[in-house]
Amino acid sequence: MELALSEYTGNTAYDELLDRDLQPRSSARPLFDYLNSLDEKELAARRHAVDDTIMAMGITFTIYSESGNIDRAWPFDPIPRVMARKEWERIQAGLKQRLTALNLFINDLYNDQRIIKDGVFPAEVLAGSGNFRPQCVGITPRFGVWAHICGTDLVRDRDGTVYVLEDNLRVPSGVSYMLENRQIMKRIFPEVFRTTNILPIDDYPTQLYQTLAALSPRPGDQPVIAVLTPGIFNSAYFEHSYLAQQMGAYLVEGSDLLVGSDDVVYMKSIDGLQRVDVIYRRIDDGFLDPEAFNPESVLGVRGLMRAWRSGKVGIANAPGAGVADDKVVYAFVPQIIRYYLDQDAILANVPSYLCMYEDQRDYVLNNLDKLVVKPANESGGYGMIIGPRATPEERAQFAELIRANPRNYMAQPTLDLSTAPTLVDGKLAPRHLDLRPFVLQSDKLFATTGGLTRVAMRKGSLVVNSSQGGGSKDTWIVEEEAQSC
Amino acid sequence: MLARAAGNLYWMARYLERAENTARLINSTTHVLLDLPLGASFGWANLIEIAGLDNLFKENYPVADEEAIMRFLIEDTRNPGSILSCVQYARENTRTLREVLPAEMWERINTLYLYLKDNAAIACRSRRDRYMVLNNLIEQRHAIVGLVAGTMSHDLAYQIIRLGRNIERADMTTRILDLSSAVQFPQDSVLHETLMERIWMSTLNTLSAYQTYRRLISMQVRSGEVINFLLGDKRFPRSVEYCLGEIESCLMLMPKSLQLQQLVAQLRLKITQHQTDGQSAAALHNYLDSLQAELGDIHDALTQCFFHAHDSTQPAGKTQTEIVFTG
Repeated sequence: MELALSEYTGNTAYDELLDRDLQPRSSARPLFDYLNSLDEKELAARRHAVDDTIMAMGITFTIYSESGNIDRAWPFDPIPRVMARKEWERIQAGLKQRLTALNLFINDLYNDQRIIKDGVFPAEVLAGSGNFRPQCVGITPRFGVWAHICGTDLVRDRDGTVYVLEDNLRVPSGVSYMLENRQIMKRIFPEVFRTTNILPIDDYPTQLYQTLAALSPRPGDQPVIAVLTPGIFNSAYFEHSYLAQQMGAYLVEGSDLLVGSDDVVYMKSIDGLQRVDVIYRRIDDGFLDPEAFNPESVLGVRGLMRAWRSGKVGIANAPGAGVADDKVVYAFVPQIIRYYLDQDAILANVPSYLCMYEDQRDYVLNNLDKLVVKPANESGGYGMIIGPRATPEERAQFAELIRANPRNYMAQPTLDLSTAPTLVDGKLAPRHLDLRPFVLQSDKLFATTGGLTRVAMRKGSLVVNSSQGGGSKDTWIVEEEAQSC
Repeated sequence: MLARAAGNLYWMARYLERAENTARLINSTTHVLLDLPLGASFGWANLIEIAGLDNLFKENYPVADEEAIMRFLIEDTRNPGSILSCVQYARENTRTLREVLPAEMWERINTLYLYLKDNAAIACRSRRDRYMVLNNLIEQRHAIVGLVAGTMSHDLAYQIIRLGRNIERADMTTRILDLSSAVQFPQDSVLHETLMERIWMSTLNTLSAYQTYRRLISMQVRSGEVINFLLGDKRFPRSVEYCLGEIESCLMLMPKSLQLQQLVAQLRLKITQHQTDGQSAAALHNYLDSLQAELGDIHDALTQCFFHAHDSTQPAGKTQTEIVFTG
């Protein structure tokens, strides 16, 4: 196993597996011992087996493009990303702290708005929020929890500090790929699991089930849980059907459901109508219910909001939870944590500049060549600009967008995202990556062991989104003490 | 179980059964053709006719030779009944059904699809390759049926798979019988008897029934007996009667199916009471046609009863990859 040395010597980023002298970090040493035991031919054969397995498992995602939708095989890099358990436990605590505070925040926004009255969170940020749903005002869902499933994007900067990049509270996806990545590794590299003590990750579907079951309006009975998908043409359809299967839930489309005059949600089954207790919805708020939101929506269920408001059905994530999934709100999360929990944030936020404030906007406009600027309400890496990599014309155009709608933009310094060795043309080359753990909350809190590592497969690229050429790796949280050296 | 999912499941089972039966039919036709003398009216074109696809074929192919017909039946996705189309539809349906099927099911069907996608063209290259690829298909199908029987809970979803499989199978058996009875020889052929025997032997082989027939019925292969066997035998799993029995036993486990059960019982009675001995070829053809029509009625009734029962409650969604039932 050879390093692509020319690429590594020029690499200024923090590498997850190798130290500055290009020696394996202690948590990754058994992995490298194993990799060194494979010759080039063997490795190529395994690489091939990985591709075959992905094809056979039919792990795909869909890319939207002008020429139609294409189902792509999931791009997977067989070299795992390794993290020591001790470091992970601190991160895990930070993730739980963050989601707890965010849920208190959302519930406050839809009810008393104490945080605004106390002057901690500006009313004008809320006023400009694209994801605040007036239809949800006055509601307190069970446990006061709105975002039951959260995907938090983490990155590591040059000095090794882990930052939260964003909180995905609407319909975060990727967890099925996290689970399937581990399956692929177990099939193709079974030996390595003997040399390293890798913590298992497969309890996620059970935890998700329990999180959802706790929302059932009929506690005591075995709840009927449905995963609501926009359908087979959605980019995450694979994940929707995967999770339904793993949880033993029903996979339904909007047209499979109806809300009766008793405000109960029913599923059209072959022997009549069957009550649905909890809906894990994977469609955006706007399409959920043509009666309450976008009247044009054919994906949703007429009357669903009515059913939810009257407590006849649990919905995860709750409609309106996305109000906290906003890159401007993001900048306030450290204050939000302090306000509700009286704690300092365990996980750092990336320093952020809000274009809604004149002084910060001026700074952003004067330093566009050094900053990443993101729109507040987009996801998937769309609509952003990476200043240092943009042309002066692109920057000028973007400056106009910011001036036209300052509330919609925030900026951050470009981080030198960490790298990990990635198999490129038979050698290990550094590629930038991030980490998306998934956090669950209803009556209990849970965070995945590790998460989905997304890697930018192109040299030097910082864009890890699968819709834009990103791949992924298995993520290992390893117990170092138990290793036999 | 969701009505929409049930419909997809039913069609998945039918597509898979259809793919397997088409493969069987092609393999055994290849065998019998090798034995036929010049002048026998039987040919490849009969395969297209019994599937009810002659018009579609003529629209797309100028010549009805073996190569064209094989491409049409095996790899042409313009033909909704081609083997590749059937497996592709089955796969698309399975993709929407992962939560009701055993976990390995998706992977199995996906693998079968990938295999056919890579090998359908090869199968059209030569008789030898064709035999190999189609045999592989049949074996993989057996693995899928085994997976379902051995690992899936025998619940409603399972009954729906059995329903789809047996309706398709019964229909296909009548079509295969129709194919054989259509063969005409020059009247003066001294070999007439022997040739007829060959044809019926091949029919039995298509359905893997030759061995059972010899053991249970007779060492001699005679048309009347073969027809009676394949229509009315209560033990052989590809006879029409056996398939109907399976359908009836599925229905007994399903909700609101009383009317359907009656429909099936009527058809069973009709088959039991029918006399095939001494029937002319034309009469037999008409009879088989009527059986197909009644199977079609059962299909319509159960579709209405189970899959489209809620259509009036809300505008119906588009049913996934449902193709027109041919024939």
